[in-house]
Amino acid sequence: MNTRRDNAGKKDLGEVIVITSGKGGVGKTTTTASLGAALALRGQRVLVVDADIGLRNLDMMLGLENRIVFNVVDVAKKICKPAQAIIKSKKSNNLYLLPASQTDDKDVVDEAEVRYVLEQFRREFHYILVDSPAGIEQGFRNACAGAESAIVVTTPEVSAIRDADRVVGLLSSKGIESKLIINRIDFEMVRRGDMLSVRDVQDILGIEILGVVERDDQIISAANCGEPVVYNQKSKAGQAFTRIAARVCGEQVPVPTFDSGSFWSRISRKLGVNA
Amino acid sequence: MFNALKKKLFGESNESKETAKSRLHFVLVQDRTGLTNEEMAGFREEMVKVIEKYFVIDKEGFDIKYHRLADTTTLLINSPVIVRRSGSASKPSRVTDSEPENDTDTETAAVASNV
Repeated sequence: MNTRRDNAGKKDLGEVIVITSGKGGVGKTTTTASLGAALALRGQRVLVVDADIGLRNLDMMLGLENRIVFNVVDVAKKICKPAQAIIKSKKSNNLYLLPASQTDDKDVVDEAEVRYVLEQFRREFHYILVDSPAGIEQGFRNACAGAESAIVVTTPEVSAIRDADRVVGLLSSKGIESKLIINRIDFEMVRRGDMLSVRDVQDILGIEILGVVERDDQIISAANCGEPVVYNQKSKAGQAFTRIAARVCGEQVPVPTFDSGSFWSRISRKLGVNA
Repeated sequence: MFNALKKKLFGESNESKETAKSRLHFVLVQDRTGLTNEEMAGFREEMVKVIEKYFVIDKEGFDIKYHRLADTTTLLINSPVIVRRSGSASKPSRVTDSEPENDTDTETAAVASNV
């Protein structure tokens, strides 16, 4: 995800990243909105695309639900000009949304049409983040069409991890490399041994970890207000997405793991000694 | 060794994440290979037989993992080898002594395949 801008000689086309998970409700849309906003804060021109046709929500996360005129299906079917369908974020001049259609079916567009839509914007944006619907059916295949890489979002729970594994396999068979975001981790539960650690999840899935986002109430209040959590730098989740954006841009930022540590620290914990 | 001590001190692990790990480990091997339980058990049994032809192994520690790397998928067969079978009767004492957990060399057979 970080070499494109080094190729100064090449024509400067935006990088298309699909954000997916298999399982629903793990934070794909929140991740898309937050990462998009964080990249925009870094001065990157970002388009976030809602590929969840029929169940659009990315507009809500960005507080743009009242400004929608055209949508991704209108662009695909050439009902409007590409530039007419994208909506500028309230908070940033660098962040734009291409909303999903709320009234169509997921199979109203095909993969070729999605590729056509993305091509219309690749010259204008540094990053195009495509928010995939849950599942592995047509909506997922559409969201992956034209993606150069993938961010797979999971939570440290068995069902989310199993689905993430399936999705990583499917993406890999399409030649798309996946990186992982572990969302909603609770380091206190990890410490008690009641939640899989970052290291556990990485061992199980075997893919590079792009970031770790702590469970954070601020995510809910940010969504309530339609303002991505990265604008609140007191929020741990906001800070996490800021670090993830830096990594997407190729910066080396260490991933915090807070792993359960050595045998001795575990013993002292069991004995109730806070090391 | 520390694990053994820990188990003695605190009993078996009651951490639910260990259950999660072993359940995931089990289900992902099935998901990734597309093999059923029976097929997987059969595969395991046959692998043990093949390795036992050449080595004395600790069957308890025998383990099959299915690792996905960037562009290859690797079947990792981990088999603790207690002693090499050398045809003639050689040092059988090593086979029976002490706990295999502390006293075995671990040889790893890895089969890489693009799946």
